[in-house]
Amino acid sequence: MPHFKETPAALDRRRLLLGGVWALITATTSGAGAQGRRFRIAFANQNEDPSIRLDGLGFTGMDVRRSFELAARTMPVEMTYYDNAGEGEKALANADDAIDRKIDLFIGYNVDADANAEIGRRLRAAGIRALAVNYPIPGAPLYTADNLSAGGIAGHALGDFARQNWSGQSVVAVIVGDLGDIRPSMTDRIQGIVEGLQRDLPDITLTRLDTSGNPVRIEGLLGKFLRAQTGRKVLIAALDDATALAAKTAIQVAGRLGDCIIVSHGVDHSVHGGAADKKELDPNNRGSILQGSVAFFLDRYGYEVLPIALRMLAGEHVPLRIATKHILITGQNVFQVYPPFDMN
Amino acid sequence: MRLNKGFAAVALNLLAILGGCGGALAQADCKTLVKASPFGPSDETGATNRITPAVTKAAAAEIQSGQVISMAYNLVDGVPLFGTRFTKTVLTSFALVPGAEYGKNKLSYMEDTYLSQSHVGTHIDGMGHIGIQDCYYNQTSMGKYVTQNYLKKLGLENIKSFATRGVIIDLVKVFQQAGKLKTNPACQTPCLDGGTVITEADIQAGLKMYNVTLREGDAVFLHTGWGDLFKQFPAKNADYNKAEPGLSKSAAEWLASQNVVVVGADTWAVEVIPSENTDEAFPVHAILLTNNGIHIIENVRTDLIAADAANSNRATFFLSMTVPKAVGATGTFVNIEAIR
Repeated sequence: MPHFKETPAALDRRRLLLGGVWALITATTSGAGAQGRRFRIAFANQNEDPSIRLDGLGFTGMDVRRSFELAARTMPVEMTYYDNAGEGEKALANADDAIDRKIDLFIGYNVDADANAEIGRRLRAAGIRALAVNYPIPGAPLYTADNLSAGGIAGHALGDFARQNWSGQSVVAVIVGDLGDIRPSMTDRIQGIVEGLQRDLPDITLTRLDTSGNPVRIEGLLGKFLRAQTGRKVLIAALDDATALAAKTAIQVAGRLGDCIIVSHGVDHSVHGGAADKKELDPNNRGSILQGSVAFFLDRYGYEVLPIALRMLAGEHVPLRIATKHILITGQNVFQVYPPFDMN
Repeated sequence: MRLNKGFAAVALNLLAILGGCGGALAQADCKTLVKASPFGPSDETGATNRITPAVTKAAAAEIQSGQVISMAYNLVDGVPLFGTRFTKTVLTSFALVPGAEYGKNKLSYMEDTYLSQSHVGTHIDGMGHIGIQDCYYNQTSMGKYVTQNYLKKLGLENIKSFATRGVIIDLVKVFQQAGKLKTNPACQTPCLDGGTVITEADIQAGLKMYNVTLREGDAVFLHTGWGDLFKQFPAKNADYNKAEPGLSKSAAEWLASQNVVVVGADTWAVEVIPSENTDEAFPVHAILLTNNGIHIIENVRTDLIAADAANSNRATFFLSMTVPKAVGATGTFVNIEAIR
């Protein structure tokens, strides 16, 4: 069993772990005499402009914000939300406002390292605990995506597919997406893909096709690439779901559906839907060349981050770095991880 | 201690291997996944076992003025449905054409054909609707009882009477009085917003508002105001379906502990959507139907009875609802009336 195919038992273990953490929080907060206390937590979101996608994936700031709103429903918290609008100055002003409000804990999701350093200093001076999301705030625990691990899952999924299905055939690999994005998160993702692929196929020839952030560009780039790869099988690692879907279109146009397989990153709403709202990753579409996408769960950040915040507020030790548990979502497990609710 | 644990693990593994012949293993799984019915191992009825003659007689005392209040929406094309679900009526006119009448008295007649799925409009969920894996109410391993056309166990024909007391719980008033009502802008009258979690404390506050104590055999209906969007069909169908206020898991467990027979609401699933944990699917359905045999009724029209309760300061009524004895069916649309 390849490690990237999470079994129902593994999913159950994940749920059990989350349940255990929540039970622990409940026990510790009540045990510490905090029963009935509602903590005041501020969440300063990276950017809530619906046209802006976060961290090279298909999620928007509203997906992240909504996850905090949903998670907070059943937790002893009063939330204050800020939109950093992708600007360091705005992030600083938001942190100042949160300090003025004398909140119990500040959660910051802000890409600007200089602003984060200053935010950390101001929060420390005010005696307010901080928790960082994806971008460090000095002195604060960091909840973060593990792009190296996620890329590794995608690369290994592709390599394993080729080993099992295309043994003895000529196989090449291509990484598609915004390759010009030099943020560490993106370079880690690419490095992970390469390492994952080479684990199964050490001698694989690897090509990179840069969309410069415009997923539609891949249709032309990949079409041209495929024309040069007659008779070869092609493994495609897409850095995000939008690029993966555009790549699939290019492969269809080129008439090469039987020669290609795609693994993507994100699992945003463009690739998974519900019982009625069919999307590419669906139990009834297991033959798709989009074999799967590595989940980043930005739409569940609230469920992951708020329990950590409550543990901090209960005086518990929290590791300095807590990483997202990325898994490969396929047509086989998509409804277990993202159960559809469009039925009754 | 470690040795004992190891021995136990080996013994369990051996037992699992020995019991590995399909049926026995499936049955064992259902016993761990689903509660046994308190009405015995052969029970296929569920909570309506609780509606005894004494319960019906006591409920009859609720009929004081004889006023009848509708609690169902019209069954008509265009109401909110999901995906490929449909409800379509086809009118068949016989002998209506001049000259085609029957007999000297020129009799004509018409009939309808319903092309409809059962879980549409105001409808009841039966015991065969929801399970955990293939384990359904009363630890029934359903895989053995599914045919192409109907279920051979847990069908609607097993349901007993619903002649019992109904209780309306006005969550809109509860949330208004608690100062926590966050309405949805698409609602024309106050409603709880989609995703609002209704807790057992909210239910208890709604009962206290009208000085009601639940009793065994009661049918409980929740007025959330969300039905306002249903009434605006088809314009607000997408809003209606994309979320809803509803029961938390613990509130459902509390209602089950009160030995009620029905939980209905003016929503499409009765439970909060998105769920408290977004990686769980319809947990309240499993608590009520699968584990406790309590029927769920969805898309109930609650605004009229809620308004009458507010005017009369009385939240209880005699429930008038019958369910067709549709053999092997998992649910059906129903008509409901509150008799006061």
